[in-house]
Amino acid sequence: MRNKIWIVFQKELVDNLRDRRTITSALFSAVFTPMLLMGVFVVLGQTTADRAERLLTLPVSGAENAPALIQFLRQNNVQPGPPPVDPQADVRAGNNDVVLVIPPGFAEDFSAGRPATVQLVFDDSRTAAGVTVRRVRGLLDGYSRQIGALRLLARGISPAVTTALAIEEVDISTPQSQAASFLNITPYILVLVVFTGGLSIITDITAGERERGSLEPLLINPVPRRDFVLAKLWVTMAFTATMVTVTLAALALALNLAPFEKYFGVRISLNLASLVAIWLITVPMVVFAAALQMVISVRSRSVKEAQTILSLMAIFPGLPGLFLAFVPVKSTPAAMLIPTFGQQLLINQLMRGEAVAPLHVAASVLATLGLGAALVLVAIRLYQREQVLFGR
Amino acid sequence: MITASHLHKSFGKVTAIDDVSFDAPDGSITGLLGPNGAGKTTTLRVLYTLLKPERGRASVDGFDTVTAAPEVQRRIGALADSHGLYTRLTARENIRYYGRLHGQQGGALEANIEAQIKLLDMQDFADRMTEGFSQGQRLKVAIARALVHRPGNILLDEPTNGLDVMSTRAMRAFIRRLRDEGKCVVFSSHVMQEVSALCDTIVVIARGRVAAGGTPDELRRTTGQANLEDAFVAAIGSEEGLML
Repeated sequence: MRNKIWIVFQKELVDNLRDRRTITSALFSAVFTPMLLMGVFVVLGQTTADRAERLLTLPVSGAENAPALIQFLRQNNVQPGPPPVDPQADVRAGNNDVVLVIPPGFAEDFSAGRPATVQLVFDDSRTAAGVTVRRVRGLLDGYSRQIGALRLLARGISPAVTTALAIEEVDISTPQSQAASFLNITPYILVLVVFTGGLSIITDITAGERERGSLEPLLINPVPRRDFVLAKLWVTMAFTATMVTVTLAALALALNLAPFEKYFGVRISLNLASLVAIWLITVPMVVFAAALQMVISVRSRSVKEAQTILSLMAIFPGLPGLFLAFVPVKSTPAAMLIPTFGQQLLINQLMRGEAVAPLHVAASVLATLGLGAALVLVAIRLYQREQVLFGR
Repeated sequence: MITASHLHKSFGKVTAIDDVSFDAPDGSITGLLGPNGAGKTTTLRVLYTLLKPERGRASVDGFDTVTAAPEVQRRIGALADSHGLYTRLTARENIRYYGRLHGQQGGALEANIEAQIKLLDMQDFADRMTEGFSQGQRLKVAIARALVHRPGNILLDEPTNGLDVMSTRAMRAFIRRLRDEGKCVVFSSHVMQEVSALCDTIVVIARGRVAAGGTPDELRRTTGQANLEDAFVAAIGSEEGLML
């Protein structure tokens, strides 16, 4: 009797693979979504990297008053620019983020060992200028400390006495986890693919089969209803798993092509082992999703109704994963029992280059597969009812 | 051989069939005549195992349609009320799918498919995808796939519905041919002339009940009408929903 499942599977596979339009659009979105995502990150990275390290042109008014300071700025990749006529009006107009004003009395104060005044003209309400302002400010502070230390040394005092506290920053984020915070959207995309990859197929072969009037004659054949359900699920799962694979491959490709090293200072390594691990963690969700979709689709009156419900439903499982990008959740065995949520935590950990607890993986896989199996039984029950001919 | 005894089926508050009984012997054409909504399709759905009767029982070659459904399914070929095809498959692939579901394979299956294609005169469109087929072409494919496993009992729900005159004539010849091969043929229709022209036994169904039944002669005698069509109208009590 097993070969009946195979016969139905083959037929559904051939039938749906001939639906070129559906196949093409599904493949296109599987490839395109990760690429688009990487594109956004590259633009984002470029903006951040640019402001932090790029040669900055800083308009300086009265540069001739402090040649040593100007030299110091030049050494730190800041190019003094020609001063605007009215620095305040210039900044207010948004022509420059920040303007440095060195008053005529600077040299005199400096030589006398008095604090020499310089002015930074900026608009604090413009957040985009913040990176530039902080950078110039930091350089000026550095110059101030450097000169102060030299003056102390000249008087025979260790500059160390002016430093009461030695603050050591211990940042426990691995270089990868810093960069991966940008990639927290990946689990969301994978879950979205799990719930949309086979959507058109499952609605076509369940609600669609009834709508086109081919279900009634099909059920007269001497084949257990269970076999039809299992074969249709297999086709959907095979298709969805293919979409997941394509998406992951596109993601890996995009990660390797996008110059992350340049922008974030680290490589995001998604090696083959972690890709395979992510794939294996995703697969139980495919079973769960296909069974859930079948249960809903069989009970829908039409293909349109089924597709509307399933498209709406596809948005939600991934949402908890989106929050992970902002609020880190501790991975606990209890969280692993929630289908799709546990997987998102695990994929997140893998992308951050962390080790995943085998217990957690087992809990997540078993819980999701268990619920999926229960839904498969529900789907078989639904197909065994007379109402399967009519919907509801 | 198909037997229905005291079949009863309702959907919610609506009674679809109420105490339907008849026998359909082998080598004979049995027609279920009645207006639309009389309960013909429900009766056939019980016979081809998709509905379970609430009371009464039906059997095919002695096998109960509820308790021995798989055996019944192997012994019948049914043109169901809905007979949608897979439009991305060719006519031949549609027929082959059903043959395989009946456990046929290889050369024997291909020979059966070819025989059906010849019998129903489908050579011109057998290897075309069924998308865009005419009503008559679709019906031929649906019948061919239902009979590809060469069943002894054949159930046809309104097999001439929507066909043009030529196709209807061809369909009638096909049904007679099945009878002459010794098969048990049961078909439903709301066309009086068709039932008169084809059937050895007629079961007149109205409002879910058997209004009259028997050979054409028996029907004429019991209703006291010389003309068979007048006999139908007399049995049903109205012409509504019937066609000449």
